[in-house]
Amino acid sequence: MAAILPPDLPELPPPPPDAEDPFAIARAALGVGTENDAVELVQIGDQTMELNMGPQHPSTHGVLRLVLDLDGEVVKECRPDIGFLHTGFEKSFESHTYQQCIPLTDRMDYLAPPINNFGFSLAVEKLLGVDVPPRGQYIRVIMCELARLGSHLIWFGTHALDLGATTPFLYAWREREHILDINELVSGVRMMTSFIRVGGLMADVPDEFGGMVEQVITTFPKRIDEYELLITNNPIWVERTRGLGVLTAEDCLQYGASGPMLRGSGVPYDLRKAQPYSSYDHFEFDIPIGTHGDVYDRYLVRMQEMRESVRIIEQAYRNLPGGPVNTSDRKVALPPRNEINTSMESLIHHFKLVTEGFRTPKGQIYSAVESPRGELGFYMVSDGDNTPYRCKVRAPSFSNLAALPHMVRGELIADVVAVIGSIDIVLGDVDR
Amino acid sequence: MLQAKLPEAVLRRDEAFGEETVYVAREHIVAATTLLRDDPDALYRMAVYVTAVDWPEREPDEPRFDIVYQLRSLQYNDVCRLIVQITEDDPHVPTLEKVFSGMDWHERECYDLFGIVFDGHHDLRRILMPEDWDGHPLRKDYVSFGEPVAFTHNIEWALPANERPPGMPGSAR
Repeated sequence: MAAILPPDLPELPPPPPDAEDPFAIARAALGVGTENDAVELVQIGDQTMELNMGPQHPSTHGVLRLVLDLDGEVVKECRPDIGFLHTGFEKSFESHTYQQCIPLTDRMDYLAPPINNFGFSLAVEKLLGVDVPPRGQYIRVIMCELARLGSHLIWFGTHALDLGATTPFLYAWREREHILDINELVSGVRMMTSFIRVGGLMADVPDEFGGMVEQVITTFPKRIDEYELLITNNPIWVERTRGLGVLTAEDCLQYGASGPMLRGSGVPYDLRKAQPYSSYDHFEFDIPIGTHGDVYDRYLVRMQEMRESVRIIEQAYRNLPGGPVNTSDRKVALPPRNEINTSMESLIHHFKLVTEGFRTPKGQIYSAVESPRGELGFYMVSDGDNTPYRCKVRAPSFSNLAALPHMVRGELIADVVAVIGSIDIVLGDVDR
Repeated sequence: MLQAKLPEAVLRRDEAFGEETVYVAREHIVAATTLLRDDPDALYRMAVYVTAVDWPEREPDEPRFDIVYQLRSLQYNDVCRLIVQITEDDPHVPTLEKVFSGMDWHERECYDLFGIVFDGHHDLRRILMPEDWDGHPLRKDYVSFGEPVAFTHNIEWALPANERPPGMPGSAR
């Protein structure tokens, strides 16, 4: 566990005192005192202006609509309006077999599809009591950490673009391309991979996989240094983000905010460490935490997380065990092709799995993974059928976004986009 | 823990797949979650989610909805699940937004998709579906797609009386 020490920066200026003079900000800007009558300031009233932001606003990162009550440039109240991307996945799950649900999960948090597949698969595996062999677990870890890198790259590019920096966006897109190439290599699809299935993986990785992962391991630390060189000590960036959108640890817990939001507020809680799943306890990595809980600290936490992801990928790749990637339970995972040619039982299993799927024992479970945005949980209820009876997706963006009004109240309207960027929402995840 | 400090709240407990579920009486849910949040032996201070499960197949006198609360304790690295069971005729539960501010949106979602009314919620509106939407989509009796096909056995459900062809049961023509 490592606390990030912020770079050598001056202390934050004290917050403006709660002035009784309603024109304090205007007077300060104009450089006039209360005794000076050269400028006559007239208070129009206590009226606020209602401003609609989104759902087609480029800085709301999707179809998020905000209704802002403004007093001048100061946000008095913020009311998010969500649901524009509601797709009814939870209803669809109930009419699809478990394996058919996997492509649906891809489309929830569409910036990190493998982690959604993974969360769903782990939940079903917990119901079934199935274990995945070590090689499958390690490849899952590599794919998930690559997805985390890709997702954080998009966050980095767009967050910086929102605040006026164009170059990081182009850099981030260039590097993400490499991760999409790996997705394409292993699954044939660049984004909606559906690579992680219940009981294991779609297939073992091809031989070229090693070289491409090796390239990520060697180039990425240097790339992240480059990004940090551009932004971390950039005075404009620091001015815009420090002390903004502060969320204390207590607020995070109250709102259920998780992931980098929680860690930016100084709580070292990461499900990969706290409740290790899929061999995460075999790898050595640190949990970066912030100190102030502001936009800048969340930025530092995510940048450090990218470095930790590369560390995990390196360890998983260097120690990648041999053997099968799928569970040997033929009632869950498809048998290998050559076995079908020789074994009648395998043919029957294949037929049953493809036509009907498998059935899970009755019961209810909750299983959570650490997505790039926080705790991605699946609460699954089974009535013994081949489809989930009820599957609730606990989406990290949904809870994180609920804390937005609390963070922007009293801030300037220009800073709202900075705060939204620092939450790193994916609307597919919020609305599901 | 809850059993020892608030025995009247716990109706029954059930353990499966290594997870414990506690069934709590509706009138005690606020007291139970507050106790779990503040008690130094529990410290379940993070609200993970609240949702519902619809069981229309249960006997008519049994409760139709399970309201599921999941809380997380960072200190003890643990999650707990509480379930309140309510009937179809009286789908009301007290709100928990005073206990966890984050429950606000989750309760709105549950109201939107299941029609569960959270008494005392300050702003109980639909959150995901449009405001003028009919019905609550995650209920099991909600038809999610397709048109109902009229057969003699389901004619009353599929077609209103004035649209039924003459000769069909209950036809108004």
